[in-house]
This record gives sequence, structure tokens and C-alpha cells, in this order.
Amino acid sequence: MLEELLIFTRGGLILWSSCRALGAAALKGSPIDALIRSCLLEERSADASFSQDNYALKWTFHNDLGLVFVAVYQKILHLLYVDDLLAAVRREFSQIYDPKRTSYDDFGDIFRQLHREVEARAEEMKKSKQALSSRPQPALSQKKVGPKGRRGDSRGAAANKGGSGAKDDSDGDDSGNKDQNTLANGAFKGQENGARKENSLARPVVVKGKENGGPKDNGAFDVSKLQKLRTNKKNVAADNGTKKLTKPDTKKKGKQDRVWDDKPSNKKLDFTDPADERGDEVTDNVAVIEGESMMDKDEDLSSDSEDEEVEDGPKKKGWFSSMFQSIAGNNVLEKSDLQPALKALKDRLMAKNVAEEIAEKLCESVAASLEGKKLGSFTRISSTVQTAMEDALLRILTPRRSIDILRDVHAAKERGRPYVIVFVGVNGVGKSTNLAKVAYWLLQHNLSVTLAACDTFRSGAVEQLRTHARRLQIPIFEKGYEKDPAVVAREAIQEATRNKSDVVLVDTAGRMQDNEPLMRALSKLINLNSPDLVLFVGEALVGNDAVDQLTKFNQKLADLSAVPTSRLIDGILLTKFDTIDDKVGAALSMVYISGAPVMFVGCGQSYTDLKKLNVKSIVKTLLK
Amino acid sequence: MDEWIRRAEVWVRQAESWIRRQPPEQIYIAAAVVALTVLLLIIASCFKSSKPNTIVLSGLSGSGKTTLFYQLRDGSSHQGTVTSMEENDDTFVLHSEQERKGKVKPVHVVDVPGHARLKPKLDEVLPKAAGVVFVVDAQDFLSSMQAAAEYLYDILTKATVVKKKVPVLIFCNKTDKVTAHSKEFIKKQLEKEINKLRESRNAISSADITDEVQLGVPGEAFNFSQCQNKVVVAEGAGTTGNVSAVEQFIREHVKA
Repeated sequence: MLEELLIFTRGGLILWSSCRALGAAALKGSPIDALIRSCLLEERSADASFSQDNYALKWTFHNDLGLVFVAVYQKILHLLYVDDLLAAVRREFSQIYDPKRTSYDDFGDIFRQLHREVEARAEEMKKSKQALSSRPQPALSQKKVGPKGRRGDSRGAAANKGGSGAKDDSDGDDSGNKDQNTLANGAFKGQENGARKENSLARPVVVKGKENGGPKDNGAFDVSKLQKLRTNKKNVAADNGTKKLTKPDTKKKGKQDRVWDDKPSNKKLDFTDPADERGDEVTDNVAVIEGESMMDKDEDLSSDSEDEEVEDGPKKKGWFSSMFQSIAGNNVLEKSDLQPALKALKDRLMAKNVAEEIAEKLCESVAASLEGKKLGSFTRISSTVQTAMEDALLRILTPRRSIDILRDVHAAKERGRPYVIVFVGVNGVGKSTNLAKVAYWLLQHNLSVTLAACDTFRSGAVEQLRTHARRLQIPIFEKGYEKDPAVVAREAIQEATRNKSDVVLVDTAGRMQDNEPLMRALSKLINLNSPDLVLFVGEALVGNDAVDQLTKFNQKLADLSAVPTSRLIDGILLTKFDTIDDKVGAALSMVYISGAPVMFVGCGQSYTDLKKLNVKSIVKTLLK
Repeated sequence: MDEWIRRAEVWVRQAESWIRRQPPEQIYIAAAVVALTVLLLIIASCFKSSKPNTIVLSGLSGSGKTTLFYQLRDGSSHQGTVTSMEENDDTFVLHSEQERKGKVKPVHVVDVPGHARLKPKLDEVLPKAAGVVFVVDAQDFLSSMQAAAEYLYDILTKATVVKKKVPVLIFCNKTDKVTAHSKEFIKKQLEKEINKLRESRNAISSADITDEVQLGVPGEAFNFSQCQNKVVVAEGAGTTGNVSAVEQFIREHVKA
């Protein structure tokens, strides 16, 4: 049943609450606040629903009056009438709404009536569909019923598993349908299809009982078969995983030097410098020469946004008619009006290397927030959409929490432990290079840094870090190759605590987000050492893959963690920013999909090339 | 193009002849009326922009700003609030003063959302502020101490706030709860946190002096009395209506 229906203004005042009006119990926790913080303010207002604890929430806006209508119900129930109810409530409430009034007690009766109506309508629809499909179905042919019955029943069984309220009749009735929906919606849709199909045929009826019995038997058989198949698949997947896990181990152990021509070559191919202190004299201390890290330089913001002079062709046609309307009368924004402007914006965003689905979701969210709004006089639709999109982008790119690392380092210092930063990412994005840049920046603020070489896989990784450590004159903790990175990290942190080092920078090996055993190893490293900051290193050149990388990384970190409160990605380090001219969309995709702020931007290959993200300039570049 | 020019010339000539045909008094009167209106508008705009009378309610998300806003306006927080997505902006006479005899000047109060993503809205409103009320959750203070101190630090170091010596009231809200901290404790903790922030921030932005202003005296521990603008601390509770400290602050700084 519907737990609560809440009506509140965008400024935060609750206008009417069904709980209070009808005297029902209050909600547990505060799902509404969670909805606002993690969905509506994150520009995901176009999502279908939001779930928190065991509540599911659906919402709708009245953009003109600035009202939000939220319906809360138990997650396990699939209430169909919620969308209808929200639309009806919005309609009725906007008629009695007055900006000066703050109490709407009389709305309780209207709401009860609406609720009853909508419920009755939903019941009717359900019953009519059942009635139609419970009418005896013709046997198309025995062969056809068989496989179709199986498909239908497997879906019906799946629908039952989904916990919807599908009754037993629907199982048998679903035979002969083609859709593959597993929600309750799907069950009803299936019945509809069944009804339609049955209507189109004129075959006489075969014995009803046998019809329902036959497919049911097949169905019963198939449910168990399906379950067996499913568990088999799971076992196979697990086996593959373990196989993959053992494979690299055996491969590593078995690698021997290749010997050509039967000549035993005694020459070592390891040209790394001996790691003794004499190596220090070879390289100079670069800290003095390179100057100030760009993190500390403030960027000049060019003066306020220039109006775009370039207008696309299709927009010009809409210009005249919209101009007319905006002067003439009240122009309420409809979805169809917004579509061309939004499509142009979406294309522009995608041309700036924003991932396709992110651009799509953003445009939908902006549409949701503009629909039904009255256009101000003398404003074009495209400029309204542009401003709304600018606000949305600014909101997304503004960090949710403070990204003052120096403050956090000082706080950790007071507690007597080092501040641990772990750099993760896929192969070749620039983790080791940017780790050195971050170390350089921290050194400039008089903090003592230790490097931990936990990339024990790639040849030359430890030497690379050793070279950086020598140039920056900071200690490095390394254990060579082919050691467990999690253990190396733990020992590095212990060593740093002993030496009273302020920051520990942990370098990990690059790994693909799909590689299960490597992701598991990463998760183990993070869970074992509980770092203060998990920094995801992503390159600005990446396109749609950014979305996949970040979602999979976060997902694996959440799934494979032993503790209930798993550590996810806390920040993003965007690299190779100097290689993209103005195609800065990767920053937006990454921030949108993960919610983590961009803490650093790497814009070159020397120690000083590390900047902060300038939100306003990125927004301007994206919408140019 | 030439056609347009020619047509324009014809029109100009027609207008000129029409003007010549009018009696001269009418023209003078018309010109005088226009001049007078323009003069009046200029004078009016001069008067308006002299004194800002906006009070800005700021603070972290969940500290009770929207409740406070409605208490000031209507004397009750109605049915409760949720996280604000937009600012609440209204000009009204304080509820407690509605019964007062005589003319009471209305106050313009802006309640800015506290959510971190909506921080740019604060920057829009601050230049017009006559006073800033920083609302702190006294009950849940320790967990949000750092974030509150950072927010307060940002406000206190804005160039507009320091230059115009905008007074700040730190309002410890929710003191009706049993576990609420005292205002002296909150004041001391905030001073300590801002002191720490001062050190770490000054380390970074040696080039960033456009907006940030040096707070306090270098070398000494930070104290609110070191600020150029007046900072006071008060306590109360939004939900019970105990907001007299805020009303006093408003009356002090927005002339009635």
C-alpha cells in the first residue's frame, strides 16, 4: 500500500503530507531527504524511481509552481497506479495552490477520493485483463503450445519470483505470448497479448481444464529445469573465475629465461641502477628547478560568458514562431517544444566527448525540470534550455564535499597516522606519472611523503617509482616484483607510521574493469588497508568507456568487500588534459556516473603539471 | 539597402515637418515631462541602492535554516521541511512584530540552501547582504564541525563581506534538544577549526588573493574578535519558536 504522498515546494517547505492528514504512521528514516540529495540534486530527475531501504519512491514535478510530488511505497509491492495517482494529485493540487497559503488540510478529502478512484481503475484494468485471458484459449497446435507454453511459463515463473502479485491463473494464461517481461507489468501485458492473440483466432475451444493443465505441467517441469540451468551457469562462472585466478600464478612461476642457440648466456638483462645511496649523486634535486606546481596557481577566468552567435539551421525556423509566442501570450513549455533545443544541446555535448548515455540522461533531467514551466516574456526556448543546462552542469561538477586534501592530511597528522592515498585505474592512464606529480605538490607544502610500490606486476614499475623517489628525495617502500600488493601496502603503511611520514602514496597496477581476479585483488588491497582516499585515475581522452570503467570499478569494490560499508571511489584524477583541446566531456561523464569530485587534473608530463578543476571554465567550454 | 535609406529619409522629413507644425508650447511641455520623469527615476534608483536590507540565512544542510525562515515569517514551521533545492526569498514583517503599532519596515530574508552542490547560490546573494545568520546544528555538531567551519571560513573570507563589514550571527540551533552543545563550546570549537583552516589554506593560495582575505592575526590563534566585521554567537531553537536572538540581530542591523 502507499505509505506516504508528500507535496513540498522546491524551497523545502512541506505543504501536505498524507501521513499527517490521514493519521498514518510516519516513515522510517528519511527517504525523502535521501531522494533529494542523491537523485534530484544529482540531475537524475528523469529516472523512473528511487529506492532506499525498503521504500521505493516515485516523483513528479510541477515546474511552473515549483512543487514536487513524491509517493513512497514498499519496495516489494509493485503498485501500478502510482504514476496515475501522482498525475491526478498534481492536477488537483495545482488548482487549489496559492503561494501565500501554507496549510492545505482540505486536500485530504480530495486525495482520498483520488486514491480510491485510481485504485479502482487499476483494479478494473487488472480484472478486465484477467477476464479476457481466462476465457478458454484455442489450441493453436499441440507443437506450438509446447514451446510457447514453456516460454510463457518460464516468464510467469520468473514473474512469481519477482514477488509480484501474479495469481496462479496467469501462469497458464501466459502461454502463447512473445514478450519477455518479468515484472508484474509484464505479467499483465502478457495477458493482454494472450487476449489479443486469442481474439484474432476463430478456432473452437478445446477442453479448458486440459489446456490449463497441460502447459502447467510443462511449466512445472521447466521451472526446475530453468533453475538447474541457472545454477549450472553460476557454477561455470565461478569455475572460470577460479581458473583465471590460478592461471596467472602458474604462468608467473613457470617463466624462465629463454636460452637461444644452446649458449648459456650469463649476462643479466637487468640494467637498473643499483639501489644504493651512490645513485643520489647522479640525478639532481629537481624540486628547486621546476618551480611552483600549477595546483597553487590560480587560473584567470575570462570575463563573463559570451552569447553564442552561431545558431543552427533548424533553430532558426523555431525562432520566429517561438518569438511570436513569447511576446504574444503565456507560453507553457511542452515536451515537444523542448525536444529540438535539447537534441541540439545533446549533440553539442557529445561533440565535446561526453558519453552518449550521460548526455541523454542529462537532457532528460533538464526536460523534466522545465516541462510545464511558463516561458518568461521575450525569452527564447533555446536560451531557457541553455540556462537550465548550465545550472545543471554547474551543479554536477561542484563537489559534494570539500576537496581540501591538505586539511585532511593535517587532520590525519594530528591523529598520529599517515594519510594514505591509493591510485587505481585501467592500464596506461598515467597513475605512476601523476603519483609523482602529487608527491611533488605535497612536498612543496612541507609534508613528508612516502611512496609505496604496489605495482608488482609491470616490468619497470618499481624502477620507475624508484627514479621518481630519487629525484624528489623521498623514501620509497618496495618489495620487488611478484609479491602480494595488499601485503606490500600494509607493510608500507606500517613503515610510514614508524617513520612519522605524513602521506603515503600507493601505486597499483593497471587493470581492466572486467578482469574479475584483478578487481578482487584490488578490493582486497583496499579493504585490508582502508586508505583515506581512493583516487581513480582516468584519462581525458576516454570516451564512452569512462562510464563503464567507473561503474564496474565501483561495483566490484562494493561487491567484493567483506565489510558492509564498502569503500568506493572517493575522487577522480583526470589525466592527459593537455591533449584534448576543448573536448572536455570526459570530466562530466566521470563525475556524473560516480558522484566523486575531480580532485586533480594532470595537464602535462613534468612535475609541475597538476591543476585543480575549474568548474566554470569547463561548463563554458562544454556549452560553447 | 539604398531603398531602405531613401525610405528612412522620407520618413525623417515627414516627421520633421509634422513637428514644425505643432505649436511650440506643446513641444516644450512634452520635453519637460520627459526630462522630469527621467530625473525622478534617477533619484529613486539612487535612494534604493544605498542601503542593502537583505538578511542571508546560511549554514550546512540540515541545520534548520528553512524552519527558521518560516518561524520568522509566520511564527510556526508548519508541517516541517525537507532539504531545500532552491532558495526561499521573501520580504516580510517579522511575525513577532506584526502586532506592534505603527509602521514596521519589512525585512528581506533569503534562505540559501546548504547543500554543497548549491553553494554558488550563496555567492550570488552575499553581495547584497546587510547581515548574515550562520545557522549551526548544536545537537549534531561534532560530526559536522569541520564542514561547518569550512563554510563559515568561506563566508568570512569573502571580499564583499569583509569590505562592507557585514555582521555575522552564529546561531546555534536546536538547543531545545537534551544533547545540544552550549554556544561557548561551539564558539571555541569553530575558532579552533578555523585556525587550522587558516594555516592550511594560507599555505596554498599565495596567488589567489582576489576573493580570499587573510583572517585574523598571523601568529596568534584565531578569535572571532579579530575579524573586521562583527561576529556574535547566540542560541535558540527554530522548532519551538525560540528565535528572539535572530530577531534582535535583524532589528539591530536593518533599521526599522
